[in-house]
Amino acid sequence: MSRDVVVTGIGLVTPAGIGVAENWRRVCAGKPTAAHNAELDGLDVDFACTISGFNAEPVIGSRKAWRMDRCTQIAVVAAAEALADAGLDPSSWDGARVGVVIGGTVGGCATVEAQHHRLLNHQSLSPMFLPAALVNMVAGEIAMQFKAGGPNLVTSAACASGAMALGIGRMLLAADMCDVVLTGGSEAGVTPLFVSGFARMGALSKRRDDPAAASRPFDADRDGFVMGEGAGVVVLEQGAHARARGAHVHAVLSGFAATDDAHHPTAPEPSGAAVERAIRTALADADVSAADVDHVNAHGTSTPYNDLAEARVLRRTLGGRACVTSTKGVTGHLLSAAGAVEAAYCVLAIKHGIVPPTANLDRQDTQIDLDIARGAPRRLPVRVAMSNSFGFGGHNAVVVVTAP
Amino acid sequence: MSVDFTLLKELLVTRLRVPAELIGPDVTFEDLELDSLALVEFLTVVEDELGLCVAEEDVAAHFTVAQAVEALADKAVRS
Repeated sequence: MSRDVVVTGIGLVTPAGIGVAENWRRVCAGKPTAAHNAELDGLDVDFACTISGFNAEPVIGSRKAWRMDRCTQIAVVAAAEALADAGLDPSSWDGARVGVVIGGTVGGCATVEAQHHRLLNHQSLSPMFLPAALVNMVAGEIAMQFKAGGPNLVTSAACASGAMALGIGRMLLAADMCDVVLTGGSEAGVTPLFVSGFARMGALSKRRDDPAAASRPFDADRDGFVMGEGAGVVVLEQGAHARARGAHVHAVLSGFAATDDAHHPTAPEPSGAAVERAIRTALADADVSAADVDHVNAHGTSTPYNDLAEARVLRRTLGGRACVTSTKGVTGHLLSAAGAVEAAYCVLAIKHGIVPPTANLDRQDTQIDLDIARGAPRRLPVRVAMSNSFGFGGHNAVVVVTAP
Repeated sequence: MSVDFTLLKELLVTRLRVPAELIGPDVTFEDLELDSLALVEFLTVVEDELGLCVAEEDVAAHFTVAQAVEALADKAVRS
């Protein structure tokens, strides 16, 4: 199997901005996006990171957009940007060779909540309830929008879903089942029910008096993650296919590995053995050594437990050379989209030679012995970058991207 | 609120985002390219707006908008 899989396009719709350029400016500025959210008024946690000013209609068309949940709308818009960036024109491609693999977990949860409310009020349900809410529809709608008729599925591995999608997409290309795969992740779970659910688990920051300071990965005063919504789509392509059409190659998706803690529904396995195995396997897959890793976009959720456990594994596997960041300080936790968006940020770090700072990292946890970018963006040549993603269920996924 | 052409047109435009210029009394829902799901969505919107209970069989895809006005007005009288 050929492992020659390259990244030729990126599309991002996140709290950091609509479009790649806006995203990169905002994460490099290290400016948090968490803010009070009126929909969450009266709840224990009433703030989140959301996308401002999003309008799907210009891309999707007004007659189609209302039929989709927000999680699908943002993914389709991100896919359109990624395809344009890749210079791919769906009107002229062989759609049978184009796959779609998107990470998703809670699916159209806002649609579910709205329709459940109607049921309780004895109102008729919308016939679009299920077509909008089912978690697979994000991939299905992308296929319809862009006539992508190849393998089509959603990967569901909680907060590792987006990274998992990149890995599975790469496997489809390596197995020559596709020439092109639109991979990524999407989540729009900032709803009263889901935010309250995460809050009840004790996973969310409770910093209601200062939401902008709430997502503070690796900081001594971190107290939980901040819910975010967003979508990231990455166009993966067989290297030979990209070269034959003269495409610009942003990076090589050179390594991937997935493991599972096989330990507990939500708590990470304390030794970090499965995470370590994922990192070492992904680096071996990329044919690079631990010392080659220039930059890590960590899972770094800002929960007390994750950040310390992850930092220990990173120190043990990579040593202290790599420049680590967590862009979740800016974006919050995009759940299923996180792995895809953060892999895309890794590609941009390679492209620009810049590692974005970890927002709100004022006082690094003294137990965390890593070189973490803070304050200002760090300029350094990035040849090898790694993105970690971990999810409830014990899912671990590690993506390695390298300079072309 | 009573059922008339103006109201149905407004709901088609604002809620289903059908272009206003396509809608006339003699145009069918098929002509407007409403698939079966969109037609049921339309009936759901009408229910919400008028407080009626509309069954799926009350309005068919081959109905013109004028015929839908007639069918729904009849429901409004009886309910």
